[in-house]
Amino acid sequence: MAEPDAVQTFEDGLADIRGAYAEALRAAGDEPELRLINARYVGPQGELTKLLKLMPKLPGDRRRELGQAANALKQEVQAAFDDALQAIHRGAREAELTGPALDVTLPGRWQMPGRLHPITRVRNEVLQIFVSLGFDIADGPEVELYENCFDKLGFPPDHPATDEHDTFFIEGNRSSDAESVLLRTQTSTVQIREMLKREPPLAIVSPGAVYRRDDDATHSPMFFQLEGFLVDEDVTFAELKGVLTLFLRRLFDEHIAVRFRASYFPFVEPGGEVDMSCVFCRAWEGDRARTAECRVCKGTGWMEILGCGMIHPVVFENVGYDPEKYTGFAFGMGLDRIAMLKYGIPNIKLLYENDVRFLSQF
Amino acid sequence: MLVSFRWLQELCPVDADVAEVAHRISLAGLEVEAMEEKGANLSGVVIAEVRAKSPHPKRDKLTIVTVFDGEDEHQVVCGASNVPEPGGRILFARSGAVLPNGMEIGPRKLGGVESNGMICSETELEIGLEAEGIFVVDADNGALPGTGVADALDLHDVILDVGLTPNRPDCLGHVGIAREIGVLFGTGYQPRKAAGPSRTFAAGSSFQPGQPTTKLTSLWDTESEPIAAPKLPEISIEIVDGDRCPRYGAALVSGVKIASSPSWLRYRLHNLGLRALSNVVDATNLILLEWGHPIHGFDLARLSGSKIVVRRAAAGEKMATLDGVERTFTDDDLLICDGEGPVALAGVMGGLDTEIKDDTKDVLIECAYFDPRSIRRTSRRLGLQTDSSHRFERGVDPEAVPRVLASAAALIAELGGGAAATTAVDRIAAAYEPKSIHFRPARAARLLGTPVSKDESLRILELLGCRVVDQSDDVIIVEAPSWRPDLGREVDLIEEVARVRGYEQIPTAVPRVHPSETGTASLLKFVDDLRDAAVTSGLFEAINYGFLSVDDLRKARVSTNAVALANPLSEERAVMRTSLLPGLTEAATRAQRHGATEVRLFELARTFQPAEDALPREDTVLAVALAGQRSSWIGGDQSFDLYDGKGVIEAIVERVFGQTPDLSPGDMPGFLHPKRSALVTLESRPIGFVGEMHPDVGDDLGLIGRVIYAELDVPALHALSQELGPTQARGLPKYPAVARDIAMLVRDEFSAGEIADALREASKGLAESVKLFDLYRGDQIPDGHRSLAFRVTYRDPEGTLTDKRVDKVHASLARLAGDRFEATIR
Ligand SMILES: [Zn+2]
Repeated sequence: MAEPDAVQTFEDGLADIRGAYAEALRAAGDEPELRLINARYVGPQGELTKLLKLMPKLPGDRRRELGQAANALKQEVQAAFDDALQAIHRGAREAELTGPALDVTLPGRWQMPGRLHPITRVRNEVLQIFVSLGFDIADGPEVELYENCFDKLGFPPDHPATDEHDTFFIEGNRSSDAESVLLRTQTSTVQIREMLKREPPLAIVSPGAVYRRDDDATHSPMFFQLEGFLVDEDVTFAELKGVLTLFLRRLFDEHIAVRFRASYFPFVEPGGEVDMSCVFCRAWEGDRARTAECRVCKGTGWMEILGCGMIHPVVFENVGYDPEKYTGFAFGMGLDRIAMLKYGIPNIKLLYENDVRFLSQF
Repeated sequence: MLVSFRWLQELCPVDADVAEVAHRISLAGLEVEAMEEKGANLSGVVIAEVRAKSPHPKRDKLTIVTVFDGEDEHQVVCGASNVPEPGGRILFARSGAVLPNGMEIGPRKLGGVESNGMICSETELEIGLEAEGIFVVDADNGALPGTGVADALDLHDVILDVGLTPNRPDCLGHVGIAREIGVLFGTGYQPRKAAGPSRTFAAGSSFQPGQPTTKLTSLWDTESEPIAAPKLPEISIEIVDGDRCPRYGAALVSGVKIASSPSWLRYRLHNLGLRALSNVVDATNLILLEWGHPIHGFDLARLSGSKIVVRRAAAGEKMATLDGVERTFTDDDLLICDGEGPVALAGVMGGLDTEIKDDTKDVLIECAYFDPRSIRRTSRRLGLQTDSSHRFERGVDPEAVPRVLASAAALIAELGGGAAATTAVDRIAAAYEPKSIHFRPARAARLLGTPVSKDESLRILELLGCRVVDQSDDVIIVEAPSWRPDLGREVDLIEEVARVRGYEQIPTAVPRVHPSETGTASLLKFVDDLRDAAVTSGLFEAINYGFLSVDDLRKARVSTNAVALANPLSEERAVMRTSLLPGLTEAATRAQRHGATEVRLFELARTFQPAEDALPREDTVLAVALAGQRSSWIGGDQSFDLYDGKGVIEAIVERVFGQTPDLSPGDMPGFLHPKRSALVTLESRPIGFVGEMHPDVGDDLGLIGRVIYAELDVPALHALSQELGPTQARGLPKYPAVARDIAMLVRDEFSAGEIADALREASKGLAESVKLFDLYRGDQIPDGHRSLAFRVTYRDPEGTLTDKRVDKVHASLARLAGDRFEATIR
């Protein structure tokens, strides 16, 4: 049964919604509010939905016309809503772009990575250079046989050459030095171990902890060395010079000068020590006054950095290589010292105190 | 060794300044570590003559002296008791002079008397150690008042501190270094005869007949005045142990008077680091510094039986050495004995009873060659390192014995005012045999990587003192000089040639390296990967000493069956660590004491476990310690707990393996909290543990707060990584996933992990993951219960899941939770 009043109510309803909606939109400040208004008037439980429930009561001849009016209103409202929403978004973005900046100094939200020990860092750098030259990495035990640390390396028995190696011995039955077990005093032990294991050609570097009974301001009873050696037919001293010069320039500065001095280590001959331009006063730059005042190189412009030489034939004999057929070179360096030089660490003790304030600097 | 440049120039003059000489010898292996100029810092100190002296009116010990400094007279108050009479000369620091110790001389009053300048002692000028009294200028020094002290006393010198390697005993004396300079500068070295003594006597009846003797006269450069032979007992020298003492020579000086040495000698010894004592002792020291060959002077009157016997000690034999210590010997020690018993420990130190004393008149001078190894063993066993043992254990020149004796006898006779015997005993038990060495220039060239000519090699080898025995086109056969025990085989000579030419003459080349097929062992690379993973996970790398105390191990409840050092530096560092725990937790505690609030440390190093083999087992371990508080600027700080440790271990393993390890309860080490720790497994293989430190152990170790500690077994991880091989890629899912949550109330005894596992299993392969996202206790949750919420991600690899299917499976999971874990679904 059609109700004439229903038509009136319906038409008034549409007009009210149109008016109220427009007004509410104008007042709306943000997106949630906007959505609330939208829901109140045109949502599933909104005013318009309620009004549409009157449809069955409308007279048949008006139904179509009034239905179209309601649809038009719906579209109108939707368009107004979209415009308003867009305006609010634009406003918000505008406000964000022109408003106060974030406090960028507040801490980041991330698990900060830790740090490698400076000795490890230097070790990695050194290894990387030698690996790029074709060397393999090897290691050996820290507790060693006397013969691998001294005898096989050509240290003569009862000879003062061992004086620089104030050695920690392991407790146990031993009637002589030669039968004893010790904490290795040098990574050169790896030369013996690798040569006994493999045949030339060999190109090996070996970093690791070594121990000497020295504990004072400039010595730590445990420290780190890196040994390197190359054995092949016709390896020359010229190549030893070439490799070490290249290595030091890559590690420190391509401009440094490198000089080789004669020296003595029982397992190499000719033996030498390597000096490089002082990296503290940057001696290669030729500022004499600066070098003269440098306490690290004592004004000389040079600092000692490596020991090296051609592998002694006695070492080859001890591992069963033919010294007439093979020659080779070997070198050794203190990783602690290089770390200290590279990072300007004033005191070797800092390296073993594990003070987080120190470790976090690298 | 300290070396006088002045002396070197006297022995081998070269046309080069001290800097040039220092540079050249340094490059050749005699490293000059420091240089000090002497006599340069004494301006304002002059010779002055005493004109008058009188006692101080008020102070007993002071003298008022009037001195003339060549220009004016000055009144000085002096505290010394040996102010010479007028006419004597002293060293006078004028007002305004600055002494080497920094003291500035100015006018002042002493006991009310004006003092204008200072009369100096040796120590004040740092030209000697004599602090008793002022320096009185020798009468035979003709310097006039006003002459600068450095010129007057001839103090100008440069002292080089040369670091010598143990292969170069020849350079432990000035003659040897001079010889080296002659080689390096190409001038060669001309050995000179010793200055002869003024008076000599024929030793004829002084030595027992039949003793082998050597004439010293031909080794002296001056004629001397012969005097009648003094009446002395017949001396005999006998070598019993010829292996340990191949040669023993003895010279004789008679009629000396012990006194202090002239100032030049005192000054030279002082500059070279020795204390001047008396003329005869100072002379033996000067000979040591000149020749590098230790000699020893015996007071002949105190040698019982006038007899020297060189023999090994009987075990337990005793003698007091010069330093006043009674020594007990073994049968490995070599003794110099007289008719009664030991008078010197051969090559190491003289005996107390036969030393030169103030009343010594006749001196027997010993110059010998002892077996280096024997001297070294004795010196090491007794902990007695002397200037003498230092040289003998490196090897002195056995052929130098007559020359050294000639030098020593002449010097002692001259300084002591005595006469030297013209012959000396020279007993040779084993004659020196020069080593014959083949040198191939072509081999040298091949080793050095630069041409080496035969001519140049010959020139250098001869400069060095090698005697060429034979030669052909490609081989030179030489005998090495007796003062170079380090030259024994070809490569030694190659080094000599390279060194004398200069290493800088060798070009640089880059070798062709044959890269190996195997490359670096994978374990080493794996260790580096782990280390990087640890750092990425927020940990700082620590490096601790490999040794610690047994007590550290005991307190940490780790194995105390440790590799012990025979000669540790201290009890704190007496054994090798069996665990990284004590070191790492201690480092963490120290960091906290230094104010660090958040400590995250790891160490990747070896532990040492005693083994049946000769060497202990060295295991590489990765240890982690977290101490203090996890800081967060949102939400405040919280103490580290098990889950921080777990997170770190997961992060490390994830990074290296691309897989998450599992934690499970198990047989935990005693140092961990029994309820707050777990074993770590990967692919069901044990790889380590993680947990809170047991509070009792924490107390024993002095840890601050609850420290989290974890270890990963590196070899086990490596073996697993080898076995698993590289990660294999999986195809990406084609169909979408559907996520559903399930929240439940369960009793504490059921772990979240086992519930998640059960849920996944029950999903019949549809649940791709089951993850805990919320855990709640508190209001409305009964005691002993907790609320757990899981997010289940469903995916069917074969097709798109329908809601209906998911609902069904999800409901079955809820039922399972209810049935198996008595859970109330919320
Ligand atoms: Zn410098």
